[in-house]
Amino acid sequence: MKISFPYMGTVIIYKKVLELLGHDVLVAPRPSQKTLDLGVKHSPEFACFPFKTIMGTYIEACEMGADTLITSGGHGPCRAGFYGEIHKRVLKALGHKFDFIVFDSYARDKEKFIRNIKKIKGNNSWLKVIKAIRFTYQMLKEIDRFDKWIAKNRAYEQITGSVNQAWDEIQKMFDLAHTKKELKEAIINSEKLISAIPLKEVQERNKVRIGIVGEIYVVMEASINMEIEKILGELGCEVERSHYLSDWVDHNMLPSFLKRSHEEEILKKGEPFIEIEIGGHAKQTVGHIVDFKERGFDGIIHLMPFGCLPELISQSVIPKMSAQYEIPVFTLSLDEQTGQANNKTRIEAFIDLIKNKKLSNHQFSA
Amino acid sequence: MKIGIPRALLYYYYFPFWKAFFEALDMEVVVSEETNKGILNKGIKESVSEICVPIKLYIGHAIQLLNKEIDYIFVPRMVSIQSGEYFCPKFMGLPDMLRHGVKGLEGKIITCQIKSDSDDISAPENYYPMAEVLGVTKEQIQVAASVAREQWIGFRMFNKSGFTAVEAMKMIQTNDSLEVLLNNQQSSKPVLRIGLIGYVYNIYDPFLNMNIIEKLRELNVDFITFDMLEEAQLQEKIKDMEKTLFWTFSNKLLGAGLRLFHEPTIDGIIHLTAFGCGPDSFMGKLFEFESDQTGVPFMSIRVDEHTGENHLQTRIEAFVDMLKRKKFIA
Repeated sequence: MKISFPYMGTVIIYKKVLELLGHDVLVAPRPSQKTLDLGVKHSPEFACFPFKTIMGTYIEACEMGADTLITSGGHGPCRAGFYGEIHKRVLKALGHKFDFIVFDSYARDKEKFIRNIKKIKGNNSWLKVIKAIRFTYQMLKEIDRFDKWIAKNRAYEQITGSVNQAWDEIQKMFDLAHTKKELKEAIINSEKLISAIPLKEVQERNKVRIGIVGEIYVVMEASINMEIEKILGELGCEVERSHYLSDWVDHNMLPSFLKRSHEEEILKKGEPFIEIEIGGHAKQTVGHIVDFKERGFDGIIHLMPFGCLPELISQSVIPKMSAQYEIPVFTLSLDEQTGQANNKTRIEAFIDLIKNKKLSNHQFSA
Repeated sequence: MKIGIPRALLYYYYFPFWKAFFEALDMEVVVSEETNKGILNKGIKESVSEICVPIKLYIGHAIQLLNKEIDYIFVPRMVSIQSGEYFCPKFMGLPDMLRHGVKGLEGKIITCQIKSDSDDISAPENYYPMAEVLGVTKEQIQVAASVAREQWIGFRMFNKSGFTAVEAMKMIQTNDSLEVLLNNQQSSKPVLRIGLIGYVYNIYDPFLNMNIIEKLRELNVDFITFDMLEEAQLQEKIKDMEKTLFWTFSNKLLGAGLRLFHEPTIDGIIHLTAFGCGPDSFMGKLFEFESDQTGVPFMSIRVDEHTGENHLQTRIEAFVDMLKRKKFIA
């Protein structure tokens, strides 16, 4: 059994949990032009962008010999929950033979969830499964911590590229860790690594903080959002995303009595603008905008796939939020069009506006 | 009190209910004018550019109602009319979008959440939250809801017996079904029978779809739409699916489509959809697979805010010609 999965964010996590359970794991290549071409060719024209990218990833994985595909399902009215059904049919029509395991949220279909877990479990004891999940979860928390540090400090590196290089190395170290001891070492070494990076001293009032909100796949997967975190870092901005994999796991995979309250809080903050959960991450998006503002961020970039149903609602209410909370928001809709100059220029202009605004505020107050 | 109802989206499915409901509460009901270029342009101006044209039209109709001295515009938040299923996120966020996204509408919107386990949305609990604003009691709402239910069931009965929703609405409103019947009589026996699959607001808005119904009738083609089928007929083909779509009306269309693909009296299927429609992007693909399997001709027509209609005329004629050739020559 050769297992593969969609490519989103720090993929070593999914790889890790499967490896620990003794599976043969095939990590599909990072989405490239070829991935997009394949995906677009075999997807419905108006399917959303993540659907097409994942379609391409699956085809690449199947061609490389994967015979089992694992993915998460969806809850509620956003299209993502139905991805699996269409992906399955298209891949079958293309003649690929494979087993498709879709994890829906535990609350939606308990039996299926347990059946799926059993498939992944294989001949391992439950104890081993729990250990593997706990280990990976710990690792996920740690890696997200480093991810946040990287996005925050990329702006202040003295040697161009040193932070990105450190991030690559950190991921490699974590990838090689398979026991608790190795994980501890990886954490210590990573700490050493980042503390050795020479950083510029920047005055607090000159720092620019940008929050990235929006649909989870385009926010998390750098290869299809033009590596927006790097772009912003190069422009001298601290960045924080609204989505980290550990938050997603906390909110979606854990049974409700174990849930942490962070995500619930965010949802509360979105309530005045979008009353109920309308699917996808629309309500989180508006909640995070309020949250980022309260934490002193200077601007928001709102990412969405072209035609995304829930994010169109958030896009509709954003102009009013932006005025009410006095925070600039820039919505960027992404699709398979890969020319980047246009979007980069717009991002640059947006950041310039924010910097100018900060600057003139200081001058007036001085 | 004057309540405005936009002539868009689920107007074509639930208007008889809402009209009777508000009238039973002694309110005056005002409907926006039939869709025209002006309404469309207003809608385009006030909405985000990527959103589908039915939503843009809804916004246009809502803005038009502002000129009619209404007290409130009724914008229900359609959440679910089938357990485990929802509406498209755009319906669920519709009041939010209008309130926060369109200038001049804040404070003019009256809304309530519609949750039900069937098409029948008459459970009075849905409407209690409006009682205070409307200045009525819960008892009055109960009575109004049951009066409205009668009306709506009558409307659906005409609709299901083969009349379009617009005709059925006329029949229930004027109590003069004979006239509609006479108007509807076709001069000669239809040569073809096709399935016309699409949401009510795409199929029954003649401006949006450039009057596709009239075009088909001119070509002497009979058609059947999803709302003319019984619920059980819609469920038949999809109840065994492992995972159906999440959206109730999409599921109805899917059920209708899959059924019609297997009905021997049907010569072809036309899927009428709007540019950027999310649920349809997936459903269309399922129809394509079905068409490949059954060999029944299938065409999808995508409408948006542009209004040149020649392409539509040409495509429909070509499709009908092809169906005729297939039927009579082969």
